[in-house]
Amino acid sequence: MSTPTISGPRNDEVTPPQRKVSVLTKLNHYKWLYLMLIPGIAYFAVFKYAPMYGITIAFQDYLPFLGYSGSPWVGFKHFQALFSGPDFPRIMGNTLILAALHVLITFPAPIIVALLLNELRIEWVKRAVQSSLYIPHFLSWTIVASLTFLLFGLDPGPITKVASSLLGHQVDFLADPAWFRPLIILQSLWKGTGWGTIIYLAALTGVDPTLYEAARIDGASRWRQMWHITLPAIRSTVVVMAILLAGSLLDTGFEQIYLMTNSLNRSVADVFDTYVYIMGITQGAFSYSTAVGLFKAAIGIVLIFGANWLARKFGQSGLF
Amino acid sequence: MKRRTFLGLSSAATAAALAGCGTSNKTTTSSDLSTLIVMAPVLDVQAPSKDGLLQKAIQEYAGRTLDITWVPNANYTDRLTVTLAGNQLPHLMVVTSKSPTFVRSALAGAFWDLTDTLKAYPNLVAANPDITKNASVNGKSFGVFRLRDPMRTSVTYRNDWLTKLGLQLPKTTDDLYEVAKAFKSLSGGAIIIPKFNGYGNGSPFDIIETWFGAPNGWGERGGKLVPSFDTDEYLEADRWIKKLVDEKLINADFATMDPTKWNDPFVQGKGGIILDTFSRTTQIYGLFKALDATDYGRSVDFTGNLAGPHGMHSYPTIGYNGFIAVSKQSVKTAADLDTVLKFLDTMSAKKGQVLENNGIEGTSFTVDGSYAVFTKGGDADVVNNDVKSFAQLGTNPNGNLYYVTKPANATEQAVYERRLKTQEGDMTSAVQNPANALVSDTYMSKGAQLDQIIGDARLKYFAGQFTQDQYTAEIKRWHTEGGDQVIKEMNELYVK
Amino acid sequence: MRPPIPAITAPVTRRKLNHYGSAGSRVFDTLNVVLLIMLGLLTILPFIFVIAGSFAHDAEISQRGFFLWPEAATLETYRFVFSTPVFPRALAITIGVTVVGTLVQVLMTFLMAYPLSRRALPGRNMILNLVIFTMVFSGGMIPTFLVVRDLGLIDTYFALFLPLAINPFFLIIVKNFFQELPEELQESARIDGATEVGVFWRIILPLSKPILATFALFYAVGIWNDYMSPLLYINDSTKWTLQMFVRQVTISAEALGNLDPNYVPPAQSLKFAVIVVATLPILMLYPFLQKHFTKGMLIGSVKG
Repeated sequence: MSTPTISGPRNDEVTPPQRKVSVLTKLNHYKWLYLMLIPGIAYFAVFKYAPMYGITIAFQDYLPFLGYSGSPWVGFKHFQALFSGPDFPRIMGNTLILAALHVLITFPAPIIVALLLNELRIEWVKRAVQSSLYIPHFLSWTIVASLTFLLFGLDPGPITKVASSLLGHQVDFLADPAWFRPLIILQSLWKGTGWGTIIYLAALTGVDPTLYEAARIDGASRWRQMWHITLPAIRSTVVVMAILLAGSLLDTGFEQIYLMTNSLNRSVADVFDTYVYIMGITQGAFSYSTAVGLFKAAIGIVLIFGANWLARKFGQSGLF
Repeated sequence: MKRRTFLGLSSAATAAALAGCGTSNKTTTSSDLSTLIVMAPVLDVQAPSKDGLLQKAIQEYAGRTLDITWVPNANYTDRLTVTLAGNQLPHLMVVTSKSPTFVRSALAGAFWDLTDTLKAYPNLVAANPDITKNASVNGKSFGVFRLRDPMRTSVTYRNDWLTKLGLQLPKTTDDLYEVAKAFKSLSGGAIIIPKFNGYGNGSPFDIIETWFGAPNGWGERGGKLVPSFDTDEYLEADRWIKKLVDEKLINADFATMDPTKWNDPFVQGKGGIILDTFSRTTQIYGLFKALDATDYGRSVDFTGNLAGPHGMHSYPTIGYNGFIAVSKQSVKTAADLDTVLKFLDTMSAKKGQVLENNGIEGTSFTVDGSYAVFTKGGDADVVNNDVKSFAQLGTNPNGNLYYVTKPANATEQAVYERRLKTQEGDMTSAVQNPANALVSDTYMSKGAQLDQIIGDARLKYFAGQFTQDQYTAEIKRWHTEGGDQVIKEMNELYVK
Repeated sequence: MRPPIPAITAPVTRRKLNHYGSAGSRVFDTLNVVLLIMLGLLTILPFIFVIAGSFAHDAEISQRGFFLWPEAATLETYRFVFSTPVFPRALAITIGVTVVGTLVQVLMTFLMAYPLSRRALPGRNMILNLVIFTMVFSGGMIPTFLVVRDLGLIDTYFALFLPLAINPFFLIIVKNFFQELPEELQESARIDGATEVGVFWRIILPLSKPILATFALFYAVGIWNDYMSPLLYINDSTKWTLQMFVRQVTISAEALGNLDPNYVPPAQSLKFAVIVVATLPILMLYPFLQKHFTKGMLIGSVKG
């Protein structure tokens, strides 16, 4: 049991005094809570667990027309095809590298921007910037790709022109495999950072502004104020977001990658999601794509619980 | 008090979840075909209303009601998939391509095999048997195909540049080379080619390879079917293309340029040659017309296919765009099938074709000679909009019997007539793909990957990332990673 | 029930408080403002391009590439967009579905999150595990479609928000938020005789305004941007939402359209106009909710 914090025991840590209570008494004690759970549980049962049998097509050669009972069973054939395919190491490598870049760059970015916004004193700038930062979230990847081609293409590509003159040689952002990952990260940053700040800013509303005043009076610098007041306020949010990220680590986002992939950069661009598209969707091999999805999900669940365990080791409450 | 509110709210939430009554359970248990249930893609933003004038007119003509679900075409395949899985198929479904899902479903019994039944219906007999072959699955027809132009290849040019340089329209690939060089000296660019995924999908490269005499996809060499990239003419064509790339006669970003912006460099004057279809030619005429309504005819011109070093070879289309398939589940007996096919037959008769492709004579258009002149305003606008969607339901295997839209002015009239002549002429040298009718198991499961090997290698060769030896090595990889199996299966099917 | 405004308890010191702190602090502030304004511009300029494009002729869009103001502005495209009842109807439908859907989704999520935030609740951990499991494992498009169909929800608006009623990620975050609320208030309410439901309604919810606003926003945007649900579950074209149109015009279908000579690709300016019509309303939501994101909403209620 974690020790109570300075502000008193938390909502979830108060337990009734020790005495023998029967299960029924316990249930009755909490009956209103269970009632409140009913709609949610009904939802998960009906819309999440009832369809769960669909996972089994990973072990079939599923054809929608034949259905689940009519399609032939093939055991682990698809998994074998996936792992023994000559492209698998490359696909795995590309996916992992992108995942690492996301963890290192696109995950912290909204946190940093949220902190910077928090430090802004001028209200109107803060509101204006906040209102525009999240606009890219609403534009579909098709539009983002279109804009990328427009700005980074060979011709007219204003950014390409500038980069080429700065670097002294013709840069081909879209064709050069070396620029693929930077472009993807740039796109993700542009599209997702603003939206990502929202949850952290919401967490920051819980900070008592008088704490800053008191700290200033006590002579604390801006940096120390952030370290001791602001950061702890969002720590638990950051931890939860990090754990949740772990679960979708191998999801690189099909549409974004697919639109930016071409014959010349495919060696670095191919990731699980686009590979599945070529192998699965275009050829109607639903089973294959489900098998890959199952593989990713298995890794994801391990990562989520692993990250959660790690968080608890450091004294955070994690997901539970 | 609070508890009751809560109980109320909670149960309301749950009840709301289950209360939504579905009114459209499209079960088709009876053999009542007085209402035909249809699923079709809609390409436009507005789908026709079932109470629209056009639908009423069609229903009256055909003698039965139509219950049409219009699905946005952007994700039509997803909808097709869930419909197939849902076991409540409509009577008639538009299937947009011979995808593996369609083929496997058809072979598993989802759709009626119409190979032998169609000949009983006069308007469903194909005027061009090549197209029936192309549309078949190893000889079997699992639907009525939707006719499209068999020859659409067109090369569009900046005519004002030709005039300025004193050049004629090219007739051969050598002519094209000279024109391209001249264009480059004038404006810095010549041929514009955008990004194409894969191989064998009508890209300018495929067109040029056919011009040089390579097979279109697959061809017969020495009595056996071989893929086009195994032939000498194919490599010859690619070497020629590489020469053009190296001399900067093709835009440097041919592997990455946004295909939705294909027209832009042409309009901006950064290039003056586009190899694509007549649709593109029409679009470009339209763009120049918007810029200069009087003189645009002099800025744009076109030719059909060009002669390569080994004579004239034209790149055709497969001649159809998907099918209308009849579900075996909901159209249960042969008698029911007869009813449904009679409906399709009626719609393919001239009057039906006119309704589906032109509209309602007198209300939305008038006939001028062999052309249709569209009316504007009020009801006519609605019908003219609906017609774009109903055209999707048209099959017209017996040929296009509806009226062509009257060209807007003399320039466009001339363009239209020249286009017809060009298409007819090119058809005599069309290189058909004998493999269109054949479906090989390995190709169904690995085809997209294999195509990608060729497509990628080709572009890398043009871009200079591969030498010719590396290119041929990649082609060899196609063979070893499943291509040889495909060749074997194709040849087995070909003999039969 | 608003929390009482805290009295200023800290004494004013003799030293004059320099409101802006040290010189280093001021440099940081200036850089910060510049950086954030640049970020703001980076994110808004492309959208301005889209707006500008919606007012331009196709020929100009083909010629100019990236621009922020059309040389020859035209209302033609918007006239077309609103010439039929199609778009206004889709707009009304989308707004209606979003409002109702968000209410349902937020209610269901918060209702489920609160009991799960009570550690003592028997069975809590099992339920949480089951929820987390659904974050990565899913039956897929086809079985979900079959469930929706078997419930009779095809072609109803319910299908546009019920299948996605509770996002497990959101559920966990809301639950965690509840867990961190100080216990004293709830304890004192319980001692005063309030039921769990009363505690939830009277104490927890008012304290959760920022979180309510945040997830109302997230769910609303989720429903608004969702095109898969209407595509799969809606048959009647009069029930289409805005996203169906956006995809129709932006997925210009080079692969799909090229084979069909009847297909004329939509004008580029139409693409832009549809995007503007489909995006502006939901963009307005955040500024509207922004007042709930002000600092210090939670303080004061726990003093003393």
